[in-house]
Amino acid sequence: MDELIKQLKEQIIDVLNLEEMTPDDIDDQASLFGEDGIGLDSIDALELIVLLEKEYGIRLANPSEGKAIFKNVATIADFVSKNRKK
Amino acid sequence: MVYKIADDIISPLGEGTEQNYQALSHGNSALSTYTHLWNLPEPFAASLFTDDQRKKYQVSGLTLFESLLYHSISRALKDTSIDVHQDRVVLIVSTTKGNIGLLESSDFTEERIYPGIAAKTVSDRLGLDSVPITVCNACISGTAALILAERLLDAGFYDYAIVSGTDIQNKFIVSGFQSFKALSAEPCLPFDMERTGLNLGEAVATVILSRKQVEPHSWIIKQGKICNDAYHISSPSKQGEGSYKALLGALQGESMNHLALVNVHGTATMYNDQMESVAVQHASLSDLPANGLKGYYGHTMGAAGLLETIITMKSLDYHRILGTKGFTELGVSGKINISASSRDTDKTSFVKLISGFGGCNAALFATKDEHGVNEVSIPQNLFKAHHVTISTQRIVVDGKELVTESIGKDMLSEVYKTKIGGYPKFYKMDLLSRLGFIASELLLQVSGDDRDKETDDRAVVLFNRTSSIHSDRIHQKDISDEENYYPSPSVFVYTLPNIVTGEIAIRNHYHGETSFYVLPEKDENIMKQVFLSTFQDSGIKSILGGWIDAEDESHLDADFYLLTTNKMN
Repeated sequence: MDELIKQLKEQIIDVLNLEEMTPDDIDDQASLFGEDGIGLDSIDALELIVLLEKEYGIRLANPSEGKAIFKNVATIADFVSKNRKK
Repeated sequence: MVYKIADDIISPLGEGTEQNYQALSHGNSALSTYTHLWNLPEPFAASLFTDDQRKKYQVSGLTLFESLLYHSISRALKDTSIDVHQDRVVLIVSTTKGNIGLLESSDFTEERIYPGIAAKTVSDRLGLDSVPITVCNACISGTAALILAERLLDAGFYDYAIVSGTDIQNKFIVSGFQSFKALSAEPCLPFDMERTGLNLGEAVATVILSRKQVEPHSWIIKQGKICNDAYHISSPSKQGEGSYKALLGALQGESMNHLALVNVHGTATMYNDQMESVAVQHASLSDLPANGLKGYYGHTMGAAGLLETIITMKSLDYHRILGTKGFTELGVSGKINISASSRDTDKTSFVKLISGFGGCNAALFATKDEHGVNEVSIPQNLFKAHHVTISTQRIVVDGKELVTESIGKDMLSEVYKTKIGGYPKFYKMDLLSRLGFIASELLLQVSGDDRDKETDDRAVVLFNRTSSIHSDRIHQKDISDEENYYPSPSVFVYTLPNIVTGEIAIRNHYHGETSFYVLPEKDENIMKQVFLSTFQDSGIKSILGGWIDAEDESHLDADFYLLTTNKMN
């Protein structure tokens, strides 16, 4: 799981162009959206849907599912480990 | 104020405004679901021209986009006595993606992808000798084009304006909207509880406007207002702030008693319809009938603001308010009086509301009531203060060169790090927005402006030649490989060049007008006309304006300044 979390952080930094961040700057439990956490926005959420599909073969039919999955890096890792197709 | 002297609509529902109106009054719609069209993996509903219609409107030597404009304009011109060789006529084209299909084709010269060159091709074919202006303001383009035309004629720069708008649907556009999860696979349900997204559509719509009245009882375009939410580049403000302010501006000095309806954007996305309902309530228009036409036509993008204005005029000529096809049960929290079915009216004024990516909103007031002619003061002179130029290799601020170690795209990042910082959104921007961001930051640093203030009275007005070509090519690459098909929403949003105006508005809390225009080439005279026209909005006291082209990472060209005028009131 630690390996997956690290990989996810690197992928998130890459696809969302979080240029000045390193994986160590992202706490596993920190909120990804909203003002208290990393501060991602609605386009970032859509980009994370593309990331899941491209890297892990997971298609989210309904974008509203994303809300619970994209809470923090730990929740994404949990979802990916259970649903990944590649 | 200006007078409508002719109009035309060509859509999958018919040819000519009358035929289109009759189709709508019978409840017809051309929306249907397409599966596997253009090899798209997901189905979508849209209102598309048939192959026969495409063939019929194709003009030799022109692309389909140019052909549709040419056809519709020619049809409208027949109803006027305009002599395009003698009279002072300007062509204003409204489009979001113009000839973007040419990215996949080598049938025409490459520069026809640039909307200004496409507009010039049409303008030349029509025999006009003025420089055409293309409005690329995302979904508000059609309404913004009418507002520009009204101001240019009011200022006396031209006697007639031909305003025509269209977009051709293709894989480029549909894939992008699908990456935004914005499209419905079923015909759309504007403002309804069950709505699941928008449908795209094809149509071309043309309005010809005159400075002087030609016949009695003609429609008058009185005034319009454009406002930015300064909130987000793709999500509308939850308070509907920009739409609310645009409504107030368009209705300034008008009596609400004469209003028949508000014709809203009504895209049937969750956020748009919700936002509009809040804006309409805030503007105290909750009791007024409201309708939306996307259930008949889908979202026709560059045509939408024109098409919906023409149809609303026609329906009021028949003393009718058309129903909102697809709407059954209200599914928004703002108080809004959506007309589900057609109803009678004896009133002959309305307001058109529309909003788009980049945070832009526009409202336009039109009437047949000839009373209450408003005197607008026309600004005459522009005063430039401060000046930033950025080329691929050099940055000059107020005549002084800014020394950098790198060039091109890297130079922008270097300046961000050494001179600006603290705004990580910079790294998410595309090349055009990065260039605009850096140029505006350097300009505002020397201006002495209070950078944290919310501002209603500054407009952002930019021009270029190559539109959003750099992001267009990236999106095209993302969708070209069937095996590796991953359209990116954060790339697609930047395939609208006006996003750079939205980025500057968000960064600086500017809630005034944001506008983006594409010209065949840099033309200071036309730019001056447009800047002066922008100042006809009495709420605008200064403009952050200029020229901005970012063709690729080693072709950058920005020329930004702050403008004021010697007006008035």
